[in-house]
Amino acid sequence: MVNFTIDQIRGLMDHVANIRNMSVIAHVDHGKSTLTDSLVSKAGIISGAKAGETRFTDTRQDEQDRCITIKSTAISMYFELGAEGIADIKQKVDGNGFLINLIDSPGHVDFSSEVTAALRVTDGALVVVDCVSGVSVQTETVLRQALTEKIKPVVIINKVDRALLELQLKKEDLYTSFLRTIENVNVIISTYYDPGMGDLQVDPEKGTVAFGSGLHGWGFTLTQFASRYAKKFGVDKSKMMSKLWGENYFNPKTKKWTSKSNDADGKPLERAFNMFILDPIFKLFDTIMNFKKDEALNMLDKLEVVLKSDERDLEGKALLKVAMRKFLPAADALLEMICVHLPSPLTSQNYRAENLYEGPMDDECGVAIKNCDPKGPLMLYISKMVPTSDKGRFYAFGRVFSGTVRSGQKVRIQGPNYVPGKKDDLFVKSIQRTVLMMGRYVESIEDCPAGNIVGLVGVDQFLLKSGTITTSEVAHNLKVMKFSVSPVVQVAVDVKNPNDLPKLIEGLKRLSKSDPCVQCLTNESGEHIVAGAGELHLEICLKDLEEDHAQVPIKFGNPVVAYRETVQSESSITCLSKSKNKHNRIFMKAMPLDDELIQEIEDGKISPRGDFKIRARDLADKYGWDVTDARKIWCFGPDTTGPNLLVDVTKGVQYLNEIKDSCVAAFQWATKEGPCAEEVMRGVRFNILDVTLHADSIHRGGGEIIPATRRVLYASTMTATPGLQEPVYLVEIQCPENAIGGIYSVLNRRRGQVFSEEQRVGTPMYTVKAYMPVSESFGFTADLRSNTGGRAFPQSVFDHWQLMNGNPLEPGKVQEVVLGVRKRKGLAPEIPPLDRYLDKL
Amino acid sequence: MKVLALISGGKDSVFNMVKCVEKGHEIVALANALPPSNSEKEELDSFLFQTVGQSSVHYIAQCMDLPLYQVEINGLPVNQSLDYEKTINDETEDLYVLVKKALDKHPDIGGVSVGAILSSYQSNRVKNILGLQMLAYLWQRDQGELLSEMIDNNMNSILIKVAGIGLGKDDLCKSLSEMKEKLEMLASGEYETFTLDCPLFKKKIEIVEWEPITHSDSAFASVYYVNFKKIVLKEKNI
Repeated sequence: MVNFTIDQIRGLMDHVANIRNMSVIAHVDHGKSTLTDSLVSKAGIISGAKAGETRFTDTRQDEQDRCITIKSTAISMYFELGAEGIADIKQKVDGNGFLINLIDSPGHVDFSSEVTAALRVTDGALVVVDCVSGVSVQTETVLRQALTEKIKPVVIINKVDRALLELQLKKEDLYTSFLRTIENVNVIISTYYDPGMGDLQVDPEKGTVAFGSGLHGWGFTLTQFASRYAKKFGVDKSKMMSKLWGENYFNPKTKKWTSKSNDADGKPLERAFNMFILDPIFKLFDTIMNFKKDEALNMLDKLEVVLKSDERDLEGKALLKVAMRKFLPAADALLEMICVHLPSPLTSQNYRAENLYEGPMDDECGVAIKNCDPKGPLMLYISKMVPTSDKGRFYAFGRVFSGTVRSGQKVRIQGPNYVPGKKDDLFVKSIQRTVLMMGRYVESIEDCPAGNIVGLVGVDQFLLKSGTITTSEVAHNLKVMKFSVSPVVQVAVDVKNPNDLPKLIEGLKRLSKSDPCVQCLTNESGEHIVAGAGELHLEICLKDLEEDHAQVPIKFGNPVVAYRETVQSESSITCLSKSKNKHNRIFMKAMPLDDELIQEIEDGKISPRGDFKIRARDLADKYGWDVTDARKIWCFGPDTTGPNLLVDVTKGVQYLNEIKDSCVAAFQWATKEGPCAEEVMRGVRFNILDVTLHADSIHRGGGEIIPATRRVLYASTMTATPGLQEPVYLVEIQCPENAIGGIYSVLNRRRGQVFSEEQRVGTPMYTVKAYMPVSESFGFTADLRSNTGGRAFPQSVFDHWQLMNGNPLEPGKVQEVVLGVRKRKGLAPEIPPLDRYLDKL
Repeated sequence: MKVLALISGGKDSVFNMVKCVEKGHEIVALANALPPSNSEKEELDSFLFQTVGQSSVHYIAQCMDLPLYQVEINGLPVNQSLDYEKTINDETEDLYVLVKKALDKHPDIGGVSVGAILSSYQSNRVKNILGLQMLAYLWQRDQGELLSEMIDNNMNSILIKVAGIGLGKDDLCKSLSEMKEKLEMLASGEYETFTLDCPLFKKKIEIVEWEPITHSDSAFASVYYVNFKKIVLKEKNI
């Protein structure tokens, strides 16, 4: 560390107004990590010469080998902003030194959960967009995620060097391409509006869009050029900014500005952006790459770029890199943009508080979060676990939203299932150490005040993946993160040597901790299952499991897909089940839920939390529910939030409330394991029509009611035309035109449906979008490569659940799938007949 | 006090007799309700009576050397409310007939021994039968505690009906001491028992041959019970 010491950083942490917590987000391969490196090189952790080659934030060997980021990594940086920049800041400022906590996140869709975890602890986001590929599927996904979390975005259009060197674009074409990319970003942003955050649209005129090349280490915003030219033309800087973008032209003959593209004689004029900004860049590229060295050096002198003598001896690309980096240093432009336009914790928590805190906004924690108060009660959200060099132990990584966290402090550790006032999922323990996490290094610090990102030692064994840490006894939880991907691909794992089994189980526990998205479960036949977001995600998880977490040889099964059980009509009969003592009877019918309603429940827009009256009104207005029924939704399930509903539509049943808990328990259980293949149920509404109960409470306890309810739930599902839903990927493939044929043939074989095929303007690349069942996706990438000579690159992201044609109870494809799942899970080979669940009156 | 014991053959009703004797009462007769002889199956799903194994209750009377009064259950659970009022054709009326029958022969009986533990439904129906005092020493006692106490008192009861998650066909005819750990984990009322031996017995019962019967094979609520085929009485070597 050259530029700063830990003590200095610790000092900066108190100046909350000058902290910027930001994440770098983008589509895979748009150059996040490389760009991050150029920023880090400025902050001085690695030397400037290695920038663009090291990928500082890719700390793992496999990340370096595969050239993709797998885990998000945090780095703290220090930047001193010039007086001009300070003047542009529209929020509270505290001196000119800024502490920037940057989190580099993975771009591959399979690791989106890492992005979610990163976004939670930051306030702003640097969205990186490849100038050639434009806004891609993952750019949109992560941007939407950021906006939902109320993260303010700024944009950098990266890899401009490729547009110049490989595509040889003209100036005006490049401008159009920039314009289109910015428009695409703004289209997404415009669907989100929050009065607290203000205008979020990105605009080069405001300085919220940068252009550059992470690899070559150069970049700029209009601000740099505006201040350069403002002096020359003697106009105000902000005025100059607006002239440098859009329909503004400069007539060199008359020395006048105009908004028309032609001069008085009808001759075309050059756009100001092209003339004042792109022109010098194009000239430098041209002269250096075409070996007109004298001209180039001459120009550099004019631009006041001073090269050292040995740098002057360089040729071609090497010289270009040095020259451009000195002319337009990317780090300065980006760091300035970050400091000026991204919010400080102080600013952002003011509008984020409501989105973050589950409790009332006027309790002590709510107020402290809103004010980012370091003296308030501690509120800290752990967003992920980072493995330490010590096997099996983790740093808990998170953000302090209020109060100050100290080593040795006694805190309450609240897991996701904690309910205020109860003792479930709650531990009171001491924090062993607080640490600052910087890429590959970890530094101990004494304490850490509100608004900062921190690592904690000693709380890992009390939290599964994420949670809230607080000192206030009345604190509610900080909201649990909502992931955009779900674990739809599963694989069975087993040890090669039976003696290693305990190690495998311990390893699975660690794996589940280390990744926000992965699920480790054991099914009824005793198989251990690892579920991940996609093939690549699983591959990485399994490798980690074998090499790091379990460290024993492991056998892997073939990847399999998770299905959902649903119903396609209302139950044909009113189903009845009796309890074991035959003295309690439950009558029920099942029916499908509206598709949009399912979506809203899954998105958390309609949830078991909140006022039931408002929810009932919503259901009545939007989905035509009876208001009385809608008010009597007993629960959501599975896991109390899932897209199945248990509704009480009985009239005047005695003691009904006494059995509610038992019914809810049975419902959670039944919706987690449906009747056909014991897969999770989705989109079913169960109506309790009538109940007769034994008069004595001892004869209508859980032992009687739970099995009876579970049976009647299954019976009503089986009489309501059961169905099976399979997960479907949205596949986006980038390829040159001549590879499209190969893509179609591969997609056809795999039940894929193409719904869009577009050429990216100014490039020979096509973007093909298609839906493809996840079950057909294994080996897709390799298949596609071999069929297109390696020219097509797919990105698959889980998109929706698709109802399969047919009924599992009748012979056909669906039944084959169901029987396959049953066999795999070690269940009875046939679906149990209806009379196992249905009783006669 | 002279006591009439209502017994089902199960562990609770027999153990309550042991308790009565402990408290200085004298048991003079046994009474029990039988499923009707023309009924095809032994299990009736009655609200009030244990019905499995009733055909073997007379062995207990023989063991104890006491008169046994029996009546067939002809009524149905017509009145299902918690508090009972006289209802025609209700199975509770059969119980009254039964007690009356015993009372006619033994006019000096002053109390009724009942094995009810938790069910107010049952105890409300036995309370104040024909002005007799109800002796229910097990009332509201902790089940786990009772189980250990029965085993310590050399009660030998076996499971004859299982109806709970966690209990299966294989558990039939197992003794309480064998099943103790498993039973302690379960909620109440998920099995019924038959007593083969207790301190009050002068002889003991031995099951020579039996078969399991599946009552309702519904998913996760299967009910199985035992049909005794051959039973012998053996002298106890004291």
